[in-house]
Amino acid sequence: MRQPQFIRSSTFHWTLAVAGVFAVFVITLFGFIYWKVDDYLITRSDRMISSQLDFIAGLPGEQQLSAINQNLKQDSRGVQHAGLFGADGRRIAGNMERIPPELRLNDIVHNVSVTRMLPTGRDARVIRAIARTMPNGNTLVIGREVDETREISHVVGQALALGLLPALCLCLLAGALLSMRAQKRVEEVNKRVQRIIAGDLSERLPHRNADEPFSKLAVIVNGMLDEMETMIHALAGVGNDIAHDLRTPLTRARLALERGRTNATTVEQLQTVADKAIASIDQSLAIITALLRLAEIENSRRSAAFGSVPLHAMLREVCDLYEPIAENKKVDLRAKVKYNLNVLGDRDLLFEAVANLVDNAIKFTPEGGRVGIELESGDKKTIVRITDTGPGISEQEREAVLRRFYRSDKIRSTPGVGLGLNLVAAIVKLHGFRLAIHSGPGGRMEIICPGRQSG
Amino acid sequence: MTGVSGKRAVVGVGTSRSANVFAAVGNRLMTKVLLIEDDSETAEEITAELADRGFEVEWSANGIDGLDKARSSRPDAMIVDRLLPGMDGLTVIEALRKDQVRTPVLVLSALGAVDDRVRGLRMGGDDYLTKPFALVELIARVEALLRRPAESRETTLRAGQLELDLIKRTAKRGDRVIDLLPREFRLLEYMVQRSDQLLTRAMLLEEVWNYKFVPTTNLVDVHMGRLRHKVDGPGEVPMIHNVRGAGFILRAGP
Repeated sequence: MRQPQFIRSSTFHWTLAVAGVFAVFVITLFGFIYWKVDDYLITRSDRMISSQLDFIAGLPGEQQLSAINQNLKQDSRGVQHAGLFGADGRRIAGNMERIPPELRLNDIVHNVSVTRMLPTGRDARVIRAIARTMPNGNTLVIGREVDETREISHVVGQALALGLLPALCLCLLAGALLSMRAQKRVEEVNKRVQRIIAGDLSERLPHRNADEPFSKLAVIVNGMLDEMETMIHALAGVGNDIAHDLRTPLTRARLALERGRTNATTVEQLQTVADKAIASIDQSLAIITALLRLAEIENSRRSAAFGSVPLHAMLREVCDLYEPIAENKKVDLRAKVKYNLNVLGDRDLLFEAVANLVDNAIKFTPEGGRVGIELESGDKKTIVRITDTGPGISEQEREAVLRRFYRSDKIRSTPGVGLGLNLVAAIVKLHGFRLAIHSGPGGRMEIICPGRQSG
Repeated sequence: MTGVSGKRAVVGVGTSRSANVFAAVGNRLMTKVLLIEDDSETAEEITAELADRGFEVEWSANGIDGLDKARSSRPDAMIVDRLLPGMDGLTVIEALRKDQVRTPVLVLSALGAVDDRVRGLRMGGDDYLTKPFALVELIARVEALLRRPAESRETTLRAGQLELDLIKRTAKRGDRVIDLLPREFRLLEYMVQRSDQLLTRAMLLEEVWNYKFVPTTNLVDVHMGRLRHKVDGPGEVPMIHNVRGAGFILRAGP
């Protein structure tokens, strides 16, 4: 037989356990109250009968009889027992037939079972009684039924039934409801998650605005989904870009080979075709290599192998390396390096970053323009600045250029792989430096290295 | 990236001189190269290319066998793939170096990790080439390893008519003084030390400029163009030659 699902849920099991513990606790509490009250009542009644005994025993002989009768007459509930017996055990007064056999005449209250003579007949029960043999040889017995105890146990039982049973039922009901509600929400979430798995990235988990853990969790997961959706879209865009960029040179290679195969008649012609194809394939490989390097740098951690990099020397080397190219393009490339400044980093990667920026700057600067490499020491930071007199980066583009995977159309249309700036950004980030791109006119890029630098 | 098939460098340029460059190596008692590479197709291409250049090639497909061969047949140079079945390429090199075997090793790797190159070189590799590579690049590097210039105390370098004074940092071609910028002198010094040897753009960038990553611009060509302009004056026999799609050679001979 299949149980309803909520019975198997852990929420319901927990509720059951809590209800059980609660019941045990309540029963213990009631038991304790019962025992305490019972004890108190018996003590009180014991004190009463011993004082009655003292009182009656202290009276002169004939007054004792009337005191006993008086006492019994006042007892409307019929809980009072009294008896005066002669030395031979004969009853002189009271409602007791005889001295109960187990009654000890020792002046101490204890439990005794007695038989009482009532108008309705004989009646046997256990009472609290005390007996004393008086100097005249008579025995005085005073007893009292403690039937309040029975009444109390009755009341306690009723209270238990009235309180505990509904409480337990309520517990179980709440447990079942809670577990069913949780189940419903889990099912709802599961349905949505299945949709997300199936590829619907715009799906979100349901949540109320309440300050409730389940909703909070849903909000957190939704935040994560937002982030992932953006990233996956960005990745898909990059994938398209890469595919496009790879397809162009590969198509060229294919066309060259295809045409060469049909048309080439001499070895030289075939070699020319092969050259073209190889150049195109090399371009595809260059794109792949650049992407792999980019991913590699983005995924690396700050290396323990970082060393002190003399920026002044490095910038002069970059300048030295690019000077002939700048000269060929009639661009004035200059390194303005006044101080000797070191930073902690990977020399090869930093060289690459600066070389990329300089390469770009020269590329975008028209003939007769200027490109400057500057090293500056600021307030607790070192700045490497590359300036040029080219068109610069527009305000709108400045935002976009720093976004991950963004590739400017301007960059893409120039020869080269077009991932240079991404690479620079990745290298700068790996070092914990900051890349500042200032908007035009004129290009101004800064690598800001925070922290204390040794001169 | 200068990826081109190595054969083309010979056939394409088609000069008898470039063939001589490689033949010169071949004529020396068959230089023996040990190739440890697990991909058989790559190994086949490399072996064929090396054999064309007159090398005697021994091929091993895994690290353990490769180490045995390196110990028993004492090759002049080794080409070792980084990732190998059985025993990692770097472990092979480390084991050899422990045995005091100083054979020059070129490490091949598909891993592009920034630190990988450094580790490869630290473990005893002499040069490092990342896959995919052009065959010319590989051959040029093997040649360079085989003909590493010996440490010399000479203060003057000579190649044909060229004479470099390493103390005064001046260069002369015959009687003509060549006026060089410091960076041009460094480049020429490197080339004179390796005259008649094919130097690829990547090698020049790494060795002369200490630049580890091949940029997209034709940096080396621009530098070389200027140097050539100064070294090969009008009416003189050109000494610096561009091997198309491969790199540059400084020819000392007439």
